Amino acid sequence: MDASAVMSTVRLCFRDGVERAIEAAQGESVLAAALRAGVPLVHQCESGSCGTCMARLVAGEASLLPGRALSLLAGEIRDGWRLTCSVAAAGDCAFALDYASTVLDGPQPAVLAATVTALDWVAKTVARLEIAIETADFTFESGQYVRIRVPGTDAWRSYSMATTAKELPRMQFLIRRLDGGAMSAWLRDACAPGALVEIEGPLGSFGLTASKGPRLMIAGGTGLAPMLAMLDTLRQRPGPRLPVLLCFGCTGEDDLFYVDELELRRFWMPNLKTRVALMHRPAGVFDGAIGTAVSLIEDADLRAPGLDAFLCGPPPMIEAARGRLIAGGVPETAIHAEHFRPT
Amino acid sequence: MATTASTTGNADRRLYAPYLEATWGIKNHWYPALFSHELAEDGVKGVEIAGVPILLRRAKGRTYALLDRCVHRGVKLSLKPTCFTDDTVSCWYHGFTFDVVNGALVSIVASPDDPLIGKVRLRTFPVEEHKGIIFVFVGDEGYEPVPPLADDLPWLPPCDYDYRAAHPLDDETVMLGIRRVGKANWRLAVENGFDPGHVLIHRDNILILASGRSMALGYRPLNDEAIKAFEDDGPKGLMNMYGTGNYEPVVNNDRLNIKSAARREFNFTGVRTSMFLPGVLMVENFPEKTYAQYEWYVPIDDKTHVYWQVIAGWCPTPEDRKNFEFRFKHYFEPVALRDFNDHDLHAREAMQDFYANGGWQEEALCSMDAVIVSWRKMVARHNRGIQEPPTRRGR
Repeated sequence: MDASAVMSTVRLCFRDGVERAIEAAQGESVLAAALRAGVPLVHQCESGSCGTCMARLVAGEASLLPGRALSLLAGEIRDGWRLTCSVAAAGDCAFALDYASTVLDGPQPAVLAATVTALDWVAKTVARLEIAIETADFTFESGQYVRIRVPGTDAWRSYSMATTAKELPRMQFLIRRLDGGAMSAWLRDACAPGALVEIEGPLGSFGLTASKGPRLMIAGGTGLAPMLAMLDTLRQRPGPRLPVLLCFGCTGEDDLFYVDELELRRFWMPNLKTRVALMHRPAGVFDGAIGTAVSLIEDADLRAPGLDAFLCGPPPMIEAARGRLIAGGVPETAIHAEHFRPT
Repeated sequence: MATTASTTGNADRRLYAPYLEATWGIKNHWYPALFSHELAEDGVKGVEIAGVPILLRRAKGRTYALLDRCVHRGVKLSLKPTCFTDDTVSCWYHGFTFDVVNGALVSIVASPDDPLIGKVRLRTFPVEEHKGIIFVFVGDEGYEPVPPLADDLPWLPPCDYDYRAAHPLDDETVMLGIRRVGKANWRLAVENGFDPGHVLIHRDNILILASGRSMALGYRPLNDEAIKAFEDDGPKGLMNMYGTGNYEPVVNNDRLNIKSAARREFNFTGVRTSMFLPGVLMVENFPEKTYAQYEWYVPIDDKTHVYWQVIAGWCPTPEDRKNFEFRFKHYFEPVALRDFNDHDLHAREAMQDFYANGGWQEEALCSMDAVIVSWRKMVARHNRGIQEPPTRRGR
C-alpha cells in the first residue's frame, strides 16, 4: 500500500458489540481493506453479485467502485445496505455487520438444553452419562469439554466429551462418583432418561494438534474421556495412521472401566497400543501393571522424534507426567494437558 | 427359537462396527472408474463412485480426474462435455473453465476478468491407468501419501507357486472384462463373491456342467488355516485356502437326500478365492487353468454398485492376445461372466431389501460364514476411512 495514499478510518461494528477500526485507501474496497488488516469479513464472489458481504453503512459515506453491477435492490441501498466488496470509504465511515466478530473463528460457547438418554455405571465409581442436545448446529472438537449444570442447583461441573462431533446430537461423559458431590447425588437419586439438563460449551483448547509424529496419551481415571474422543477422531481422520500409545491408570479395581472399549479401539486401530495400571493390587484377575499411568511410560516411548504428549487427569497426575516427560527429553511445547479437579 | 441377536452376539458385531457404518463405501482407496477403451482421446466421461461425481478427461494421451460438479451452480460438467483447450475442461452452462491438472478456475467464457478466477477450484483425484482399466483414488482431498495401486489389488502369489494364474501385475497379463450396475449395497456384493457357502447357486450353471465338473453343496472350513489373512504391508484381505485340505467340500445332505456328483476331493485344481480391500475379488484358475477372474464392486451410492468382471490371461505374443480375445468373446463372457455370474448378481440383489431395512442386525449367520465375519473385521481394521453419506459432505 502506498504510504502517501489518502487513508480513511473505517469502523466495523459486529453484532456481538465488538468494534474494529481499519485503515482503507482511496479506491480500495472496504472488504479488501478489512482482509488486509486481518479482520475477517464474510464474503464470496468479490464482484458485487452474490450479496454475501452485505453490511449497513451507519456513519459517513462510501462510494461505489467503478465497473460493478450490484445485486442490491434500490430499497436496500436507501436503507443503508452496501456490499463491502464493491464500495470504498469516502472519508471516515462506519459499517454494521449483521454477524458476530467470531463467526469465522469456529464454534462459540453457548448455554443449551439437552435431554438425558442413558445412564449406566461402567465401574462402581464411574458413571457413563449420555445426553442428546437439542441444538442442530452445535459442534465441538474432540478433547473439548462442556459445563453441565447440576439440575435443581446453581452448581456447574465440567466434563470432557468421550464421543466425537460425529455422534451428535448424542454426547457421552464419564463421571467419577464422589461421596457428597452434587453431581454424584443427582446421578444417584434423580437422573433418568428423559431428564433435562443445561449445558454450556464447547469449552477448552485441549485436543489434537496438527502433529506429524507419534502420540502419547496419559490418562488418569475419567481423564480417559477426551482421549477416547481423540482416538475416534484419529481413526476417522484421513492420512497415514501414526503410532499412538495410551497409558491409562485407575486407583483400584472398583475404579477400573472401559478395558473392553480400549480393546475394541486396539482392534480398530492397528496403530494403537494401550497399557493399563491400577495403584492398588486387585483381588480379581488383572493383566495390567501395578502403578500409575505415569509409571507405565518407558524411556523408549519418549525417544520417538516428533512425539506429542496429551495428559488428562487429576492435578497430581498431570504434574508427575509432566515431570516424567521433561526428564525424558520431551520439549514443553509438545506437552498438552487438561487438568481437572474433583468437584 | 433363539433370537437372531444371540446367534452371533452383539459383541461380535461391535468389533466390525466401522464396517456397518460403511454404507457408502470406504474411502482413500483405488477404484476402477472406466475401461480404457471407454474414454477416447479428447473425451470426457462422468462416473459416480461412493457418492462422489467424478469427471474423467483424456487429452494428449494423459488422463485426468476432477470433481464432476461445477463450483458455480453445481451441475455435472460431464452432462455436455465442453473443452476449448487441451489443458482445460469447461462447464457447458456458464463457461466456468478449469485447469485439468490442478482444477483451478482459469477463465469464465463470458467473464474473462472475473475476480473469482484463480480463487476457487475443483478438486482433483489421482488417476492411474493399468492393463486397460482407469483407476481413481477416491477419498479425502490431500490424503498423503497416496498408496500405490498395488496395495489395493489382490496379493501377488509367488512365481514358483504350482498353480500360478494370471495377475494384473504380471507383465504379460491382458485383462478383458465387462461392467454393469448391481442393484445392491456394495457390501452385499463383496460378501457373495467369496462366500464358501454360496456355491449352491452355481450347481446347475452351464460353465460347471459343460466342463464336466460338479460343484460341491458347499465348502466347510475345518480349522483356522482354512482362511489366510493378509495384514502386513501391501494389500489387506483374506484368502479361502480351497484345495489344501483345510476346507472340506460338503457332498451329501442325508436329511434332504441330496448327493453332489462332486468327488469328496477338490475338483477345481488351483481354484482359490480371495478378497482384498477395497473389495476386489481374485479367483485363481477360473474359468480355466492359468486364467483368473477379478471382480470389483464399486459403490455408486448406498444401494447400487458397479459390478466389474474381468478375466486376466497371459498373452506373451499378439497371437496369444488374439486368441484370448476370441475365447473371451465367445466363451468367457457369455458363459462365465454372464450366465454363471448372473446367479451371483441375482443373489446380491435379492439381499438388498432385507439389509437396507435392519438386516445387518437381524441376520442369522451359521458355521459357513466365518470368512464373511473375518472380512467385516478386516475392513473395520484396515480401511483408510469410512465414506460419509453425501449429505454429511455438504452436498
